[in-house]
Amino acid sequence: MEISNIQTLKRIKSIAFAAFTLGFVAFSNFAVAQGEALFKAKCATCHMPHKNSTGPKLAGVRDKWSSGGAKEGSIYQWVNNWQTAAANDPYAAEVSKWSPTAMSAFPDLKKEDIDAIMDWVDASPDPATAGAGADAAAGAEGAATATEPLEEENNTWIWLIMGVIFVVVIMAVGGVRRQLKIATSDNEEEAEAMTYGEELRALAWKYRLQVGLVSLVVVISIIVALFQSLYSINVMEGYQPSQPIAFPHDRHAGINGIDCKYCHNTVTKSKSASIPSVNVCMNCHKQIDGAGKPFEGQIKKIYAAAGWDKTGMKYTGKTNPIVWNKVHVLPEHVYFNHSQHVVVGGVDCKQCHGDMTQMNETAMVQPVEELNKIEGNIKLTRKTLTMGWCIECHSKKDVAIGNGKNAYYDEIHRRLKKDPKLYAQYLNNDGKITVNELGGWECAKCHY
Amino acid sequence: MEMTKKYWKGIDELKQTPEFIKHKEQEFPNQQTVEDFLADENLAESSTARRDFLKFLGFSVAAATLAACEAPVTKVVPYAVKPENVTPGMPTWYASTYYDGASYASIMVKTREGRPIFIKGNKDFGFTQGGTNPQIIASVLGLYDSERLTAPQANGSTSSWSAVDTAITKAIAGAKKVTLLSNTVISPSVQRAISEMAVKLNGEAGSKFEHIQYDAISYAGMREANLLNFGARIIPSYDFSKAKTIVSVGADFLSTWLLPTEFAVQYGTRRNPEGEWMSKHFQFESVLTVSGSNADVRGMIKPSEEAAVLAYMIKALGGNPGFAANAGSWKAAADKAVAALTKSKKESIVVSGSNHVGVQQLANQLNNLLGNYGTTIDLSTTIELHQSQDAKALQFAANVAAGKGPDVLIMMGVNPVYSMPNGAAFAKGLKSIKTSVAIASHADETASLCTYICPAHHQLEDWADFRAKSNEYAVAQPTIRPLNNTASALESLLVWNGAAARGGQDSAVAYDYIKATFAAINPTGDFNFLTHNSCVSLATTPSAAVYTAAPVKDLPSANGTEVVFYQKSAIGNGQHANNPWLQEMPDPITKVTWDNYITMNPVEMKGKYATTYDQEHGLNMAKVTINGKSVTLPVYPLPGQTPGTIGIALGYGRGANGEKIGKAAYQTKEYGGHALQENGQLTPIGANAFALLSAGATVSYSASAAISPVDGTYPIAATQIHHTVMGRDSIVRETTLSIFQNREKDAFNEGHKLQKLDKHGDHVEAPISEFDLWAAHPVEKIGHRWGISIDLSSCIGCGSCLIACQSENNVPVVGKDEVRRGREMHWLRIDRYFASDEEAAVGTKKDKETFSYDDAEIAALNPTVVHMPLMCHHCNHAPCETVCPVAATTHSNEGLNQMAYNRCIGTRYCANNCPYKVRRFNWFNYPSYKKFTEVNPAQDDLGRMVLNPDVTVRTRGVMEKCSLCVQRIQATKLVAKKEARVIADGEFATACSDSCPTNAIVVGDWNDLKSMIREKSEGVRAYQALEEVGVKPNVWYQVKVRNEENTLLDKIQVAEAHH
Repeated sequence: MEISNIQTLKRIKSIAFAAFTLGFVAFSNFAVAQGEALFKAKCATCHMPHKNSTGPKLAGVRDKWSSGGAKEGSIYQWVNNWQTAAANDPYAAEVSKWSPTAMSAFPDLKKEDIDAIMDWVDASPDPATAGAGADAAAGAEGAATATEPLEEENNTWIWLIMGVIFVVVIMAVGGVRRQLKIATSDNEEEAEAMTYGEELRALAWKYRLQVGLVSLVVVISIIVALFQSLYSINVMEGYQPSQPIAFPHDRHAGINGIDCKYCHNTVTKSKSASIPSVNVCMNCHKQIDGAGKPFEGQIKKIYAAAGWDKTGMKYTGKTNPIVWNKVHVLPEHVYFNHSQHVVVGGVDCKQCHGDMTQMNETAMVQPVEELNKIEGNIKLTRKTLTMGWCIECHSKKDVAIGNGKNAYYDEIHRRLKKDPKLYAQYLNNDGKITVNELGGWECAKCHY
Repeated sequence: MEMTKKYWKGIDELKQTPEFIKHKEQEFPNQQTVEDFLADENLAESSTARRDFLKFLGFSVAAATLAACEAPVTKVVPYAVKPENVTPGMPTWYASTYYDGASYASIMVKTREGRPIFIKGNKDFGFTQGGTNPQIIASVLGLYDSERLTAPQANGSTSSWSAVDTAITKAIAGAKKVTLLSNTVISPSVQRAISEMAVKLNGEAGSKFEHIQYDAISYAGMREANLLNFGARIIPSYDFSKAKTIVSVGADFLSTWLLPTEFAVQYGTRRNPEGEWMSKHFQFESVLTVSGSNADVRGMIKPSEEAAVLAYMIKALGGNPGFAANAGSWKAAADKAVAALTKSKKESIVVSGSNHVGVQQLANQLNNLLGNYGTTIDLSTTIELHQSQDAKALQFAANVAAGKGPDVLIMMGVNPVYSMPNGAAFAKGLKSIKTSVAIASHADETASLCTYICPAHHQLEDWADFRAKSNEYAVAQPTIRPLNNTASALESLLVWNGAAARGGQDSAVAYDYIKATFAAINPTGDFNFLTHNSCVSLATTPSAAVYTAAPVKDLPSANGTEVVFYQKSAIGNGQHANNPWLQEMPDPITKVTWDNYITMNPVEMKGKYATTYDQEHGLNMAKVTINGKSVTLPVYPLPGQTPGTIGIALGYGRGANGEKIGKAAYQTKEYGGHALQENGQLTPIGANAFALLSAGATVSYSASAAISPVDGTYPIAATQIHHTVMGRDSIVRETTLSIFQNREKDAFNEGHKLQKLDKHGDHVEAPISEFDLWAAHPVEKIGHRWGISIDLSSCIGCGSCLIACQSENNVPVVGKDEVRRGREMHWLRIDRYFASDEEAAVGTKKDKETFSYDDAEIAALNPTVVHMPLMCHHCNHAPCETVCPVAATTHSNEGLNQMAYNRCIGTRYCANNCPYKVRRFNWFNYPSYKKFTEVNPAQDDLGRMVLNPDVTVRTRGVMEKCSLCVQRIQATKLVAKKEARVIADGEFATACSDSCPTNAIVVGDWNDLKSMIREKSEGVRAYQALEEVGVKPNVWYQVKVRNEENTLLDKIQVAEAHH
């Protein structure tokens, strides 16, 4: 308590000093802001204000030390170099046993800086208690936004009803006409003998050439339409399977700005971009446990998979891999290599996966219209993940060839120039060498 | 008279039998006609009526359509904690070492996501210099054998390590006599553990513990001879790359003898006629072996004449063999050998494959006479393999058989019940031993009779160290976590000796022990560096041994028909008999798959056995009796077999009592399932010839026998006349060294010419390359153009490429019945051509009245052989591409003939139009159809793990063929692109070129002007098979050059050049 009082005094002093020198600044805010900045720069890697992480929680640590019997000023010594403090102060020596991870030394932090940090830490609200109300509100908001997708308006029934009405009308008119015809006919017997079917057949026979041609056209059109529709069948577009962990890409890649390649780190090396292993998640989620947040349960699943003992802050060694549902599934006879496209082709992830920073639900296969909206994407027309989509891109995407940046393509360029006619033909189409002109449409590029 | 050589694949072709003519005109033999199918009585038993069938069909189409509209949920499971050196989707290579008691090589193991999937030789480190054999490459499949033992066994039932260890330790402590029977131990660590055990059990001078080394194939004769001549039981190292003249008397050093992985590489370096010099190879042997088929001069001898041949040469070179040797029919060949040896003293090698001490003594004497010790043969660097103590082991086996065995018998890496001459008697005695322990992978013939079986790790799961040669220490590192509850053999020994405790699945006991051994052997060595390279050189002290003459003893004698027991390159001593890849690999010489047989010269078979056969009716049978023991096997005509001798391969007849040694080790029925014997047991493949061996001081691999025909025929699956290339003459080109060196290209490698009109309208001759069937593909100018060059001079026909291709490209195994129907799926086949000297040259006709192919039979007695690997030629004017109705096979800008499986509708037009007959059709769904459950590893949950994830597993009804390892091309290109550099020559290797021990196969980018493939394709020896067809293939062959004085061939070629 003694130290604390002294600190209070000091703070008043510093406020006064600041007030005198700067005059118009909101002084208390200044000190706290400085504390916050320092905390984030120096401490936040290991410490959290209200929770133990790699290092112990820092809120009220000064009180804890003084009440615990630490020597005066030993906490500052500790921050500057914990080993000196541990050597001087039995309490500090006791504290050093807290975790196997030794604290880094911060010799450049002055006493004032440390106090500023501590003040900010003490002043910061404890999310476990203070944040409860706010989170509840956020949860309600989330529920409100996650409404059911609207049912697509279906107009087919109108057409069906109209069709039925038309048929009835035609029949009725036809019947009336027939009756009239019979009534006006001289030869009653002949008229009696002609049924609907016979009449139709007679008509068809009369105009047999026209009927034949029309039916031929109809049959061909039906076949063409059938094949067209078969080709356009695409089961992948919009595919969005549920996942064992509701992973929000927008929060990670969008709000927090984590690079795609941080988690999908084999994308530049291998054919598969890889769903990150849990140890990658744990790089951040060791600290970010989502305590009290609605998504705490999701993060607990990560801990279960990684075998992380949250209270003991250590790994139990019992891991349990997460079974995800694959979103982008290529058939097994297709070979696709991420590193080829990302490293060599320089294709951005967005081109095929869409803007993941905006994707607030679990990942889905984006419809091609969505992909086309993204700036910088090559605009395609075929359905996402169909072969047509792949080869359409291969005919539009140019290969940076002969620009001195990639010796492999420089050599290809050199060889290509040996056949000036072919080279000119390639360039004349669109002024660039596209992937398919270098063999990107060949079967064995993707199928082997 | 214009003459050329006549090349023929089999006797059927030579004689033009009706079956051969019928089959050669069918791309797919044994096709059932509709009438046959409907006449099938089994069909009536089928419960599906035609109408029902149509209903089913309709329903399935509808169901399939509906099902296709829904995306199946695919699960994906990333690592929980990703190992540092694993990148999903990328292979990781480990340097390691392979040793199975017979074969040894430094290897590279390719793993994907922690699964070993491919093995190749290590070309950078180790004295084997990248040499492997089919067994080593195929051993990766053995890892995924679902019939390997998964846990220790006690009295036939599953037990635990703690229980087994306690019992064995107790038994050892209470025993009066403990014997360890092992194969040759070349592991310094295991040797150390054994000597520790000996010290502990024997104390100062006790005799409680005894260690006996025993190999299925023994080289004891060689060691005993060297004891007599050099004072130590050593085997020196040989350097075939330094030998200008090689004389082998019965030693198949390229395939099975001593250390073929090293010898084949050395041999290959000197078979290039363009090199500094080309070695001259003489082979004297009875059965035509791989080495014999590559010899420049081959003499046919009986096994009893081996000593005489050596003695004859000793005498001719001025030595005294100590006994009179009468020259036989082999004199001409021997005289040639003597002439060559005289010219290359100190630069020659004489080797003998005999296990008789006396014969080896004569070989030593001859080598000494030629001054080869210290030049081509190094006594300082010794080969540590093959230390079988024949006399001791056989005596021990006899004791056991007589009920006088030890109290505790530990067997490690041996299968004496199967591989000992008196194995049956040993088996009976084994049961009376109180505690018998087998360290084995399967409950095999021996292990299944033991009290305890302690399953050992597979080589790819285990830490091990080796000293195969005195100047090299090597380690094998695990490339996968043990799949089962098995343990390192080294660990077991240490545990039983009380020197270690069991370490469980992730045990470090063996690792720590080996590390300590290495520290003792090489105190300054870095163990991490060692594991990176897999081996390290050790200093050896120069040997002071000098040749001392000793009276020749133990010479073989024989009367009547002589039998030679030999090993096949795929099956070897039989320990891999359960490996379906190896069983289905056509034998390099006979081209028979899945079987064991008696080889006999067709000249001798006349009148007694059918010399021609078709796959349906099979071969005649014969019974071979030696000392009252007999085997009955089919008789196979083998040109080149010495008359008066027959050959029987060892390594067959595994699992005679239906032991669980692996599904593929037994015969299967026509429609799937194992074929059962009358007593309900599984039927082994072939017969166990080890039981026929006899032994004096050492085991003898030849004997006198009585042979008599037996009624009945036996169907056999031989690929020799499958996929025959019809009636063309430019498939194989061959010449002699003198012609090659002294004549222009046209004398030995004349290209085909066609007439064309020049600009003046005159007829002129122009090479085939100037004619185009169709508009040319632009492959010669832009991008890459991948090509293959195969040197027929250095190809030894070993079959490594075939197995490597199978492993790399997920080629299915189809089983004997399908091979008989000509439906083997190998993408790469090795055509073996016999050559006789008689045939009319191209464009000339012989007089039909007087001509008979029977004349050629004299040549067929001992024909020369050419091995020719044949895969898809990736023709730039591919005939297959133009006939495909759905464009499933197309040409790429890089010169590849691509096959899109999903587009193929299986018309098989392409295969019918292929001049090289390299296309294969998936008649069945091999990965699931019940017929292939026993043979195809892809049907087994564990076996499937060996599949290469970068290559599609093909389904029924599609064509497939060599893709030129397009997955490797793409991978190589991608690495270069990512590193922004050009592809270096030699960077791209196909599975076949990667595994070739003699580097006969060269692949590369033909558009790279400085590449090896470009150089090869433009060389004087380069030609293209069936060039005259005009398909412009991307495969070149190099004319085979034989280092011999073949006057007839010389005459023909000189005459043609003048013509």
